[in-house]
Amino acid sequence: MNEDRRSFIKKAGIGLLAGIGSAAGLFPALSLEKTVFPAWDEKPEPGKRRWGMLIDTRKCSGSCRECVAACHFTHNVPDFGNRKDEVKWIWKSGYEKVFPTASSQFQSPEVTERPYLALCNHCAEPPCTKACPTEATFRRWDGIVSMDYHRCIGCRFCMAACPYGSRSFNWRDPREGIRLASTEYPTRMQGVVEKCNFCSERLVKGQEPACVEVCPEAALVFGDLNDPASEIRKLLEANETMQRKPELGTKPSVFYII
Amino acid sequence: MTAAALLIVVLAGVYAFRHQESQAEKVAAPAPSAAVDSSACIASKEFMKANHMRVLDEWRHSSVRDGNRVHVAPDGRKIDKSLNSCLNCHSNNRMFCFNCHMYANVKPNCWNCHISPMEAP
Repeated sequence: MNEDRRSFIKKAGIGLLAGIGSAAGLFPALSLEKTVFPAWDEKPEPGKRRWGMLIDTRKCSGSCRECVAACHFTHNVPDFGNRKDEVKWIWKSGYEKVFPTASSQFQSPEVTERPYLALCNHCAEPPCTKACPTEATFRRWDGIVSMDYHRCIGCRFCMAACPYGSRSFNWRDPREGIRLASTEYPTRMQGVVEKCNFCSERLVKGQEPACVEVCPEAALVFGDLNDPASEIRKLLEANETMQRKPELGTKPSVFYII
Repeated sequence: MTAAALLIVVLAGVYAFRHQESQAEKVAAPAPSAAVDSSACIASKEFMKANHMRVLDEWRHSSVRDGNRVHVAPDGRKIDKSLNSCLNCHSNNRMFCFNCHMYANVKPNCWNCHISPMEAP
């Protein structure tokens, strides 16, 4: 006999394994144990809702930073105390910075010298999502431009694409810059981009965004732009409003009453 | 007299809840979600030992991308797809995740951002 017992068993074993492997390919149920049993019927309808915000800058007083503090505490946004490492979700800035393309000639000084609130505009045509190579940032079913921090590789293309400067990069470990940590929301890690998420974690619970909730002057109104009966739509019809850099065609969801 | 007192009570009740109603109208009904039910594990111990990472990965994808936040356990219970659903119970043991991961020399990066049972207050 040419073949000894040992090599015969070896070859038979390899054949058996190949057989099991091909069977797993033919019958996918065999290949992997089922891990989840999802209920897809509870998936929201994409595009039905579009969250938006209206900022009445006449009510928004210059020195108040309640919304900024509430947002940055709620979302564990670090503060390193210098501009280079700055991470911001919502902030106040001058008229020329927030509305650089709006007319400022012969505007009343009261208007041009007042600070304006700025945050992610959650554009209907977001340039950042098109720039992202990993689809870490994307436009959600409800109009929120969301980030999946797990996927972000820190390339910062989205920061270059965003015309509003709404995105910040974590140059340092953000946990070093958080003095008072909120346990309700995770932090980020070094090397990812972050920005306002329109409090999607609060919307799930039926709550309004943190900035809207804490505003002492009720200058912020949040609501569904696709619902003609919503408060925000009624206010948009009743007032003359502005968007930031509307000529870019990004269709921001944040509106301003000047 | 009693009728007047009753009327005052009813009016006070209406006034007290008026503000809440106007608050509820501002934000439309919350997205479909289930209560964070951490009374029992979503599957058997053996299954979770082998597959928790795949369950979490699936949860993350379907809840973040598709907005489907409701997990239906084999026994029909509905659970919010959130790490908090797990940690509400499992963070009772501070070494719950770490014991096994240290033994197996697995270094998942969950705790770079999420608050681990070890750091939980």
